[in-house]
Amino acid sequence: MDRSAQAGPVANVLAWSVLLFLLLPIGIVFPLSVTDQRFLSLPYEAPSLQHYATFFTSERWLASTWQSLVIAVFSTVLAVTSGTLCAIGCWKLSTRLTDLVRVLMLLPIIVPSIVYALGIYRLWIRLDLLDTYLGIILVHGVTGIPYVMITVTATLANFDPRLEQAARSMGANLSQTLRWVIMPRVMPGIASGAIFAFIHSWDEAVLILFIASRALFTLPRRMWDGINENLDPVMAVAACVMILLSMLMLAGDLWLRRRRER
Amino acid sequence: MATLAAALSRTAPQTRILGASFSWWLLIAPAVILMLAFYAFPLAEVLWISFTEPEPGFGNYERLLTSPALQRVWMTTLRICTITTAITLVAGYVVAYALVSAPPRMQRWMFVCVLLPLWISVLVRAFAWVTLLRSQGVVNEALLGIGLIDQPLRLIWNEFGIAVGMVHYMIPYAVLPLYASMRDIDPRLVPAARGLGATRIEAFRRVFLPLTLPGIVAATVLVFIFSLGFYVTPAILGGGRTLMVAEYIKLQILDLIRWGVGTMMASTLLVAVVVVLAIFARVVDFRRLFGGRH
Amino acid sequence: MAALQHSLTVRRLAKHYGPTRAVDDVTLTIARGQFVTLLGPSGSGKTTILMAIAGFVQPTAGEILLDQTPITPLPPERRNFGMVFQGYALFPHMTVAENVNFPLRVRNVARAEAERRVAEALDLVQLGHLKDRRPSQLSGGQQQRVALARALVFQPALLLLDEPLSALDKKLRAELQVELKALHRRVGLTFIYVTHDQEEALSMSDSIAILRDGKLVQEGPPGTLYERPATRFVADFLGKSNFLAGRIVERRNDGFAYAVDGARFVQDGPAPAGDDVLIALRPEKIGIAADGEAAPNLVEGTIAAWSYFGTSFALIVETAAAGTLQVTVPAWRCPVEPAEGRRVRLAWTADASVPVARD
Repeated sequence: MDRSAQAGPVANVLAWSVLLFLLLPIGIVFPLSVTDQRFLSLPYEAPSLQHYATFFTSERWLASTWQSLVIAVFSTVLAVTSGTLCAIGCWKLSTRLTDLVRVLMLLPIIVPSIVYALGIYRLWIRLDLLDTYLGIILVHGVTGIPYVMITVTATLANFDPRLEQAARSMGANLSQTLRWVIMPRVMPGIASGAIFAFIHSWDEAVLILFIASRALFTLPRRMWDGINENLDPVMAVAACVMILLSMLMLAGDLWLRRRRER
Repeated sequence: MATLAAALSRTAPQTRILGASFSWWLLIAPAVILMLAFYAFPLAEVLWISFTEPEPGFGNYERLLTSPALQRVWMTTLRICTITTAITLVAGYVVAYALVSAPPRMQRWMFVCVLLPLWISVLVRAFAWVTLLRSQGVVNEALLGIGLIDQPLRLIWNEFGIAVGMVHYMIPYAVLPLYASMRDIDPRLVPAARGLGATRIEAFRRVFLPLTLPGIVAATVLVFIFSLGFYVTPAILGGGRTLMVAEYIKLQILDLIRWGVGTMMASTLLVAVVVVLAIFARVVDFRRLFGGRH
Repeated sequence: MAALQHSLTVRRLAKHYGPTRAVDDVTLTIARGQFVTLLGPSGSGKTTILMAIAGFVQPTAGEILLDQTPITPLPPERRNFGMVFQGYALFPHMTVAENVNFPLRVRNVARAEAERRVAEALDLVQLGHLKDRRPSQLSGGQQQRVALARALVFQPALLLLDEPLSALDKKLRAELQVELKALHRRVGLTFIYVTHDQEEALSMSDSIAILRDGKLVQEGPPGTLYERPATRFVADFLGKSNFLAGRIVERRNDGFAYAVDGARFVQDGPAPAGDDVLIALRPEKIGIAADGEAAPNLVEGTIAAWSYFGTSFALIVETAAAGTLQVTVPAWRCPVEPAEGRRVRLAWTADASVPVARD
């Protein structure tokens, strides 16, 4: 490339400082989690796994992790099923009405969580769904739909609509066409969508403040209380656990992407 | 042919008229029903309550004009959002610029740095900032350690802390649209301008910058909208001392149980977001943006 | 095979998209075992008619009957019609054999039976050796054959083909035209073929239906359509044609005479009603007459432009009486050396031209 089109040294240094700023908080969490002190700090002498031991023997933290996983799994299933079918239906019909449906499905990304939180809090009070698995799974599932819609719609954009017609002309009914022709082709999009939906639920920290209180305490919910009350080193372990799962998901997504490109 | 004849006798003409698109609408139905019942309806109710509680009318909205406390919350929010957006944009622009002109290997690493934070819980990031910035935190300890300061700096539980956390959260959202707009620029344009006698800075200001304007607008809108309703980071890094709209709303509902004011502020927030979106919907290709979290 | 043949009737079919009439009151009968082509420029409604026959387009009005049975309300998957799509629409995630097996799979055909029929169908298109390949590993012509095998393997009532050759290069297209025609004879099914390519239509079809702006303009065997076009559009679309606009000056039992700018020409066949007449005259039916040679219709002109095509010369001749005429003369017996500005005498017989309707 022509040299004059490249960023100068000043721009590069500035850019890398910004990038380091982006990595800083992520990088600090792990050293904090292996501290040998009883308070939140960097290790003084040698790294220690004592707080990991505390985390993995604490009933409260383990219960929270388990609850978070259960909720994330079921809300992902809900978001992926309804979102995928909806994306396929909108793609096929593609009328003015389905454009409206698409906008409706994007609402949870556009509307600030805090606004929706009030509405769903009120509704769950009335339906007695506060602090229940069903209540949280419904909320996380519904707000996860946009991610699935976006990824599945993106893969459908490359899908030749004649394949669907071809299947029909050969006698396949809707469910056969879905299972044997459309689904295998949009699987990468569905997988990406599932990963996003899972992380969305796993990390969700605003709605949960309103719709869960005692019986259900997801990992973000417990961290929230921890940050506001006592900053102990187990918090850093919990943060690492959350990061670890996200990283596993990211790796999964990258792996799927690479496989698709081949 | 027996199958065809059988099929013919089974099918009444009317079912087909519906049937053609009806079954596809059935696929759409579950998501639409879920979204209407458990998203749109509660959202509409928020708007409804803002006009009906504690008594029907515009009483809650009148307070926007009369209550200095409410006005202060909005001013704080707008001020922090503006500052955040401005800093984010500059930082994002620099990163996008370096990204677009970096060699492919380097570019991949830079992308990892930009995208990695998107995958980390916003709560974890806020927590990390607390551990870094509080008075016994890593930054202050380090500065004290090398003797640069004698007293811990107040880096958190004020607007500074909020801005740091928010800028950190928003930078990736600014980089992506900016990068997209820069990538589409013909790489020969800047050399061409310099060949015509423009200095490096002139070529940037007169050629490159104007061409990235759509990206700048997109990044601004995106960051500003996300900032307006941001809850987690301001709540944690503000430590309850600096109230932004989202946290104010939470206080009204969960602590003070004042639904009228809470929903009014939420509705105003929603309207603000929609208005900003509507104004810029022409300039910004939102489909591309929302597909941008990859 | 004859037992598998079906006829198809399209009766007063119409499809409106808002104010646009994609198909406007088309009635068409396709006899059993025939190779029928729907021919027309883009936007003529030919594909819409095919899609209505296939069941993908619900007509605004009218009926489609298979033999005598109305099938209009049936969804595509219950019509049992084979279809070859433009661009083939092969499933990219399946092998050739899996693609061909697809119709049998949806019908729950037993495995052994299905394998036998897939092999048979692939043999029919000479692709048995490629059955484990993916579509992306095949050439355009091979993909086209897989699409055919897939559309035939379930013994459909009809075969519908939507511009199946349009994606191929010219030479391959000519080869596959011959193959398709042979395949039609072998399987004996009724074929309904859509194309905008008039040469394809002429070379393969038993019958051609010409469409324009959603309306059926003329229908008949290729020879009839070419020799006796009913309208100016048909004459122009199917091959090339000159047009002479004249006034009838004499009517006889077996023909008539007409005048164009004072020149007088004769024409066989019944005279159309009215005084004005439009005559279509194919370029290859005009000859160059030697000096002094007599002919029923003669006109003098000068060569304005010419080009050589190996088999023939194409001349543009400016005449005083009949305006500019296109003339095609076989190269090996062109009586004059073509040159710009050279004077020539053009001649044609009274049955060479044909009166057509103005559109």
